[in-house]
Amino acid sequence: MSSHVAIEVRGLNKTFGSRKPVRAVRDLSFSVAPGKVTGFLGPNGSGKTTTLRTVLGLVRPTSGDALIQGQHYSQLAHPQRVVGAALEASGVHPGRTAQAHLQVLCAAGGIPYDRVPAVLEEVGLTEAASRKVGGFSLGMRQRLALAGALLGDPAILVLDEPANGLDPEGIAWLRHTLRNLAAEGKAVLISSHVLSEVQLTVDDVVIISKGALVTQCPLAELSAGPRQVLVRSADDPSLARAINEESGNAASPAPGGGLLVTGADSAAIGRIALTRQIPLIELREHSADLESVFLELTHAEVSA
Amino acid sequence: MNALRSEIRKLTSTKLTWWLALASFAFTALNVVLLVYLVPTNAQIRDNTVLLELPDYVTSIVAACGSASVFILLIGVLGLTGEYRHMTITATFLASPRRWPVLLSKAAVFGVLGALLGIVNFAVSYALARLTLAGKVHAPIDTSLAGKILLGVMLGFAIYAILGMAVGALLRNQIAAVIIALVWVLLVQPLLGVFFSWAPKWLPGGALDSILHQSYQGGRTTADLLPAWGGALVLIGYAVVLGAIAAGTTLRRDVT
Repeated sequence: MSSHVAIEVRGLNKTFGSRKPVRAVRDLSFSVAPGKVTGFLGPNGSGKTTTLRTVLGLVRPTSGDALIQGQHYSQLAHPQRVVGAALEASGVHPGRTAQAHLQVLCAAGGIPYDRVPAVLEEVGLTEAASRKVGGFSLGMRQRLALAGALLGDPAILVLDEPANGLDPEGIAWLRHTLRNLAAEGKAVLISSHVLSEVQLTVDDVVIISKGALVTQCPLAELSAGPRQVLVRSADDPSLARAINEESGNAASPAPGGGLLVTGADSAAIGRIALTRQIPLIELREHSADLESVFLELTHAEVSA
Repeated sequence: MNALRSEIRKLTSTKLTWWLALASFAFTALNVVLLVYLVPTNAQIRDNTVLLELPDYVTSIVAACGSASVFILLIGVLGLTGEYRHMTITATFLASPRRWPVLLSKAAVFGVLGALLGIVNFAVSYALARLTLAGKVHAPIDTSLAGKILLGVMLGFAIYAILGMAVGALLRNQIAAVIIALVWVLLVQPLLGVFFSWAPKWLPGGALDSILHQSYQGGRTTADLLPAWGGALVLIGYAVVLGAIAAGTTLRRDVT
């Protein structure tokens, strides 16, 4: 196994229940590289959490493999020093102080207690160290969960919806922190159901829908997409026919009205409209925003 | 070893267990006081003898520490179901992906805790029995029997804590597990004893009574019990069987 892959998921399947089986993950394969932040994206219920829990040895796969640096999680001698994970913000006993919670985790992993003040400082919770977690805001719980993941100074971080419940300032802080960790060479995998929440943070995306892979690619490739022109005119059906006859390009109705033309530039379309004497109302280059690309990708999979 | 240290830190960083421990001491004290002051006035004479003059009855006062067993059971139930209720079980198994050391550590920590609480409860019932019986006409306290009661309550409470954990591990839902444990102790077990006279000695409650040499319940002699070693074997049997079932399911179950 090459050291260039931090996490590798191969042909993963998970079916819950036997009487009414639910296929939570279907033949899923993807990989996570060190030194990058990878966004694991999909709508709610698409199998993100199940996949992460399988990677972390909490859920047993029906078939396939989820490997950390080439090993199963349960084979790791010191798991917390290899992978830091934050799965739910609520996985803390409310009666424990932040410090005691982290000490419990330290003890379990054989990590010295003096890491506790260090990670609390790193996530900005030093002041709250001896306060009970029951009184923490959602944002503070997210920070505490991240602190727990950082305890063993792991090479890989797996964070489930870390931006959930954070205010804009918190999201900016998280982005900054995760970018720094990736710059140190760590592999960071974060899940989210909202692309816009993480689009400034991630380098690569893994998009799943209904438990199956939609695409894995660098974020830049996702946003590029094919070149399209949006045109609105007094007579869209005639214009569509004209474009198709004269340029051979397809023109399809756009969601908000007008036509979306793929493969032609706006000058060409302007000329076609002029020769056919169809008055134009609007003509512009159309760049699909990330969120609608994401919706389209995950929606296409749902209706398939 | 790490798993063991982690379990101890868990126990020392929350309060509920210690409130239940205090409640168990108070309950033991209450039972001693009732047995010395209240029960003998209701049933003063038995075979022309004052109840307090019967050696078995005096022994039962010393063994009143056993009445706190329900609190020990709850400590075990809450200790395990708390991990599921607060979803800390995820962090626990992330830190120790091999689950059996975690389960063994939990059983060890709660077993030792049960034994220690047994010692304190025994100290409460023994000291309070001495104190309240002083100045009354009573049969002497059999100190060698008291030593056996101490050993019995240590073993019995260790096993009750582990039984509570096993029930908690099987049910996971904290409220359901607490209710089922209480219904068993307060309703099902006594009713089984009422309907089937052969049953009590084979049930955890009767087995605990036999290792505590507890032959009175509320001033009456109880149904026939196994000898102390038999009661110990029955209790250990329950712990092994329930513990194995609970461990087997917890080791394999997905943590979602």
